Amino acid sequence: MLKNYLKIAWRNLLRNKSFSVLNIVGLSIGLAVTALILIWINFEVGVDQFHEKKDRIYEVYNEYPIDGEIWTWNSTPKIMGPTIKKDYPEVEGVSRYNYDDTFLFSVDEKRIKSTGTIVDPDFLNMFSFPLIEGNIKTVLEDVNSVVITETFAKKLFGDQPAVGKVVKIDNTDSFKVTGILKDLPNNTGFNFEFLMPWAYLKQKGWNDENWGNNSIATYVLLKGGTDYKAFSEKIKALRKTYDKDSPDMVTFLYPWSRYWLYSEFENGKEIGGRIDLIRLFGIIAAIILIIACINFMNLSTARSEKRAKEVGIRKVIGAEKGSLVGQFLGESILISFIAAVLALLIVLVALPPFKTLVGKPLSLDVMNFWFWLTACGVILFTGMLAGSYPALYLSGFKPSAVLKGTFKKMKSPVTPRKVLVILQFSAAIILITASIIVTQQMKKVQDRQSGYSKNNLIYTMMEGDMEKNYTLIKEELLTTGIAESVTKTNSPITATWSNTWGFEWKGKSEDNMTLVHRFIVDDAITKTMGLELIAGRDFDLKAYPTDSTAAIVNESMVALMNIKEPIGQTIKDNGIEWRIVGVVKDFIMNSPFQKVEPMVIEGAQAWFNVIHIKFNKEAATAKSLAMTEAVFRKYNAEYPFNYEFVDQVYAKKFDSEKRTGKLVSLFTLLTIFISCLGLFGLASYMAENRIKEIGIRKVLGASVQSITKLLSKDFLKLVMIAIVLAVPISWYLMSKWLEEFAYRINISWWTFALAGIFALMIALLTVSYQAIKAAIANPVKSLRTE
Amino acid sequence: MLLQLNNIFKWVNSGGQRIFLLKDINLQVEEGEFISIMGPSGSGKSTLLNVIGMLDTFDEGTYDFLHESVHSLKEKHRANLYKEYIGFVFQSYHLLDDLTVKENLEMPLLYKKFKGSERKAIVADMLDRFNIVGKKDLFPTQLSGGQQQLVGVARALIANPKLILADEPTGNLNSQQSEEIMELFKKLNEEDGVTIIQVTHSEQNAAYGSRIINLLDGRKVEI
Ligand SMILES: Nc1ncnc2c1ncn2[C@@H]1O[C@H](COP(=O)(O)OP(=O)(O)OP(=O)(O)O)[C@@H](O)[C@H]1O
Ligand SMILES: [Mg+2]
Repeated sequence: MLKNYLKIAWRNLLRNKSFSVLNIVGLSIGLAVTALILIWINFEVGVDQFHEKKDRIYEVYNEYPIDGEIWTWNSTPKIMGPTIKKDYPEVEGVSRYNYDDTFLFSVDEKRIKSTGTIVDPDFLNMFSFPLIEGNIKTVLEDVNSVVITETFAKKLFGDQPAVGKVVKIDNTDSFKVTGILKDLPNNTGFNFEFLMPWAYLKQKGWNDENWGNNSIATYVLLKGGTDYKAFSEKIKALRKTYDKDSPDMVTFLYPWSRYWLYSEFENGKEIGGRIDLIRLFGIIAAIILIIACINFMNLSTARSEKRAKEVGIRKVIGAEKGSLVGQFLGESILISFIAAVLALLIVLVALPPFKTLVGKPLSLDVMNFWFWLTACGVILFTGMLAGSYPALYLSGFKPSAVLKGTFKKMKSPVTPRKVLVILQFSAAIILITASIIVTQQMKKVQDRQSGYSKNNLIYTMMEGDMEKNYTLIKEELLTTGIAESVTKTNSPITATWSNTWGFEWKGKSEDNMTLVHRFIVDDAITKTMGLELIAGRDFDLKAYPTDSTAAIVNESMVALMNIKEPIGQTIKDNGIEWRIVGVVKDFIMNSPFQKVEPMVIEGAQAWFNVIHIKFNKEAATAKSLAMTEAVFRKYNAEYPFNYEFVDQVYAKKFDSEKRTGKLVSLFTLLTIFISCLGLFGLASYMAENRIKEIGIRKVLGASVQSITKLLSKDFLKLVMIAIVLAVPISWYLMSKWLEEFAYRINISWWTFALAGIFALMIALLTVSYQAIKAAIANPVKSLRTE
Repeated sequence: MLLQLNNIFKWVNSGGQRIFLLKDINLQVEEGEFISIMGPSGSGKSTLLNVIGMLDTFDEGTYDFLHESVHSLKEKHRANLYKEYIGFVFQSYHLLDDLTVKENLEMPLLYKKFKGSERKAIVADMLDRFNIVGKKDLFPTQLSGGQQQLVGVARALIANPKLILADEPTGNLNSQQSEEIMELFKKLNEEDGVTIIQVTHSEQNAAYGSRIINLLDGRKVEI
């Protein structure tokens, strides 16, 4: 029986080639897109889920009300970890994590910069990063021990055994390699090539026991069987005992296995995170798959008029309803199987570019049992979903009616087929408006004035002897004419690294806890960055040596201070009275999607991490770079010269939104394409079904135009209804999306008009091809064949 | 007795009016009979045949088939009864276009869940009997009308039914072809004892039967 079904199904596929191609292509694209998105979702959901003890690992978070809103963040004082370990017997292990540190490693003549971190010895016990060599208990015991990854070991020592060898770090301290880590897997949020013990940080004098300095992450491993709720209650008031400045700050443990997907907080509640984007694209994947299945149902039922006779005969020669349902389901499962094979090919081809597009190291594991199980599940599911309606519809025909020829296709105003077309086009229109709005929003933000001049501006991190030789370096860059201006700062111009609500000024109210950013620079800041001064003057240490305690503020800061004459006023910070000498227009250091926050630019009386160099605009950039490198070689010989172009770094701020935009556009195109495939198929069946009517009308003198109109009208009506349905939904959804951005466009009516017209045009093009074809056909021919 | 219809009424409602397709039909058929149904176009011949063949329902009256009351049987049971004992032959053959002659013959056996080896034997036997072995791998569209109807009859017979219902089996055939089919029916009836009920417009064909039933406006009439 099965063989017979397959045979019939196969012959049917071949006989109706265009139908089969439409169906299979549409379905395979739908399946491929769904598969790609599932691969991506699978990756995101699996990040850092391989740690054996993940369910007992927690990250220490703080909670504090500021301005009536609860703020939640995860940086902790360095003393937090040891305190927790000492005070709570439920704790099995604690590791601090000093975020990313970049050091220069040297072995003989080799110099390699590498990023890693400093942790407590418990780290390797808590997280499942296995050692290939070395004893997990002792590798991080000694102050000058370092554990490196396999790849990094290869880079440093080639094929020589690395354990026991000595490396020099930052040209000062010698470290012994005590262990080799297996390379980190793709699916972890951690990123380090080496681990060093916390003892080293202490030795260098970088440790502190200041409860006010929240700057590192702290991970806690609870003993098995610990009651998390009860423990949370216990640890809540930890700071009451130790932190004199903010005893009311709440300490809590966040289940670390949730950090990748969630860990965004609003007013003390977890509100999501990466999961939002994943959900969005999950929904899109489902929509595309459903649309593809809808096509399948539509085309199959449309064709059912042709197959009605077959059903009748089969019933007459003894087929039961069940076996007919089985036959038609079998056919659709066969189609979805073929589509799945095609989809697999598409996925294999499309995965590399898709990887780049989403920026994730995705891979398809074809040897995986689950992959095949899912694949079979998807084939069966789509086959059943797409085939169920036609199967039930077809198998329900009454043989006497069908064979007598009195069988009539449904003519009610609301057929399921129409509903399906409407749904399809609603989804397409929602996606079209989403693409337009995302693009508009991107353009608006990209066009936004950053408030400083990014051209010919580079920065480099302060390393090695740069700090010591800064004056010489600057002198040489300026006198040789390479640079127009040089400024050292605490952070690059593309991000603020420091903020506080601790600034004090005359007239500041007690409860004002607005966060103010702190940017620290030595000299000539407006000249180097091309900031726009609206009052006062730039820093100029030569002319005004007291500028080391001067400040420049931005407009938002003036607004916050609420004063008319800012120049000459003072602001207190870190025990220094900063005298305001200038006011600059707001400029964007952080997210261009958000509003510019108040900022104080402090003078040279502080610390520096970055050097900004504004090249002479007359000279070619390549030449300036080469000359700059020579200068740095001279004064900082041990370190390779690394730099960033500010305009490139600024452009990266759009990466994530650009990516979302591209993905939405891509999925929109695919949705439209699949919908049109379906519409095309439907239109061709409609034309075929009405071929006799068209012939008669033509014989009676109807024009090609009027017949095309007659045939297209019904479909266009459906698209109109889809527009009416889609507009409010997409208005709502896109307003929600835009709410995330402080700097955003207003949704205008023409967006929807445009999307609607676009959808109509596409539908018209698709349908009218068939309609015109039917209308210009020779009526004599069509009447004769009837 | 093979089947018995008592006071069968069938109607459709159209625009608030009840239109009768069959009116008070009483009919008794013995095993081994060869009956012809005649009457003008639209008189309800096909409708009656479909009712007998259980392809169509009726609205009033009783119908017994081999001592089972068809009117009170469940759909499933009725289908079984029908599958077991009845074969259909149509004016327009109604072969499955996607299947070859051999596969068309095999289909009813598949639905009756015959074993593969049995199916082969029966189909081979039938091809032989109807002299169409040479055509077994052709598709219906590759056959002439007479040949198609031959296959249609063979298919109706293949599962060894007690009753063959034929709705104008020769309507699309020329006189020589129809004679062939009628001879075949006669042979089946006489040699194999198959009961046959045929609808026909031709007096000549009707003469092959042992009894004629005349219909007019859904009513049995005597002439
Ligand atoms: N579903 C229906 N609705 C309304 N009328 C119907 C329906 N089915 C059949 N009829 C009518 O019932 C009558 C009998 O139809 P039937 O097909 O049995 O005629 P027939 O005797 O076989 O005619 P012919 O010799 O032309 O095949 C016809 O007048 C037909 O119009
Ligand atoms: Mg008839």
